[in-house]
Amino acid sequence: MQIYLPIAEISINIFLLLAMGGAVGFLSGMFGVGGGFLMTPLLIFVGIPPAVAVATEANQITAASVSGALAHGRRGGIDFKMGGMLIIGGAVGSYFGAMIFTVLKETGQVDLMISLAYVLFLGSIGGMMFVESVRSILRNRRGDTTKPGRRPRTWVDALPLKMRFRTSKMYVSGLLPLAIGGLVGVLAAIMGVGGGFIMVPAMIYLLNMPIKVVIGTSLFQITFVTASVTFLHSVNTQTVDVVLALILLIGAVIGAQFGARVGLKLKGEQLRILLAILVLVVCAKMAVDLVVEPDELYSVTSVGVAH
Amino acid sequence: MGLYMGLACLAGLFMGPAARAERMVTDLSSHSIKITSEFSGTELLIFGAIERNIPQGDGGHGVVVEGADYDIIVVVQSERHDMIIRRKEQMGPIWANKEFRTIKNVQGYYAITSTRPLDLILPPEQLRDIAAGMKQLKVEFLEGATPEERKDFRAGFIRNMKAKKLYTQQEGTISILEGILFRAILEFPANMPVGDYQVDVHLIRDGEVLLSVKSPLEVGKAGLERIIYKFAHEYPAYYGIMAIIVALFAGWLGGFLSRKMSG
Repeated sequence: MQIYLPIAEISINIFLLLAMGGAVGFLSGMFGVGGGFLMTPLLIFVGIPPAVAVATEANQITAASVSGALAHGRRGGIDFKMGGMLIIGGAVGSYFGAMIFTVLKETGQVDLMISLAYVLFLGSIGGMMFVESVRSILRNRRGDTTKPGRRPRTWVDALPLKMRFRTSKMYVSGLLPLAIGGLVGVLAAIMGVGGGFIMVPAMIYLLNMPIKVVIGTSLFQITFVTASVTFLHSVNTQTVDVVLALILLIGAVIGAQFGARVGLKLKGEQLRILLAILVLVVCAKMAVDLVVEPDELYSVTSVGVAH
Repeated sequence: MGLYMGLACLAGLFMGPAARAERMVTDLSSHSIKITSEFSGTELLIFGAIERNIPQGDGGHGVVVEGADYDIIVVVQSERHDMIIRRKEQMGPIWANKEFRTIKNVQGYYAITSTRPLDLILPPEQLRDIAAGMKQLKVEFLEGATPEERKDFRAGFIRNMKAKKLYTQQEGTISILEGILFRAILEFPANMPVGDYQVDVHLIRDGEVLLSVKSPLEVGKAGLERIIYKFAHEYPAYYGIMAIIVALFAGWLGGFLSRKMSG
């Protein structure tokens, strides 16, 4: 059954969209990640204009993270002060990200920028995850255990403007969450991702936050920042397709149910290796598309849109 | 009085091309195409009849035109807008958009169909007069371009529009039944631009355009598609807020239902 998407302005099979939502939902349920970094490229591969894919995916991530954020909030798993700092950073970052996005869209470079950003980030994150999980599997085989201990003092402790975060029991510079939030905001606006894959490691390794508040605080920030991105893209480029976002969400909610069950049966390292491979495959596909000579060198866009 | 006026009007209708014996009546299967959420492209039937024998009383010559070979050319065009065409070039290892040109006032949709190959029907100048054939389309650039670039960008533009099925040319697909009835079927893809279209049907004999009939065609979004599209473009800030509220509610509902399902 075909459905005509009002903002993307293409006709596409609704079951294909539901299946994509389901597949990405399954993976995100299994790995516990947001899935924006998989969904946006997938939308582009099936023919959704890249700008619409990015903006719509931000909208879908708002929906995908709100219920998780609420659940963590009820359990006391959110550091609201830290989340607030991350959101302030994220709001500023998303504003600049959306501005860059708008300028590039007008100059015809937005597709290139989206692809480059994906190749860069997926390549480095996927590579790091892969190496890390192979190492930890090898360590486990040898029977070594890493001893949790106090983090050594680093440049992080030398930063000024320290703030006390009660929930996380931390005393750390406020500049750090602002910067992390800002980076995530930029990425959300130009890549259509929640940014959890950057924020979660940054919170664990850089901020040294307690694990129990990391996921909740990250989801809390993502909900607000992707909402901000949705608003900015709606105003600047009119590229948010609500119908598309809702269809993807329906698929994702169902897929995540099954994914979570499968995820419980697999070991952490195996999961991470699988996720790393998946990320690297998506990255490779996008990289190949950038360097192989395209069949058609010319592309046409309409400027005077009829209302 | 009314009858008299009616007759006068009727006479006026046939008076226009009175120098000719022929008369042509055409119509479209629909004068408005509505893009709704189920829209996946559509077909348009353009049909008509040629009348060769017009009684003198109706303004004809009272002569039956025998043994004449008629040709029909149908041209459908959308409103004209400026478009931008970009060319990818290799920069380092990467293929990226570099050169671009603005094409002035060009049709977003163009379809032509005819009874025979166009160059057998009319000489090039006359084809150009009625905008018949992709070869005859005007593609003008706002920025300067060398003849070489002009040729390349033009070819690239036409290829792009053909690939999107927005430009089509089918020669020899109209047949005239018994020398009287003709019909043409044109395809419209799902990505067709909205706006006012114009359908021109030309009747040709011996390298001469005898009659040309224009019909309007309107293409617009309808129903929910129209509401969402207009909302997004006319009140973008409110649309953004609505999108956020819908997402928050749908996400909450989805989470709630999942918890119920998993016990």
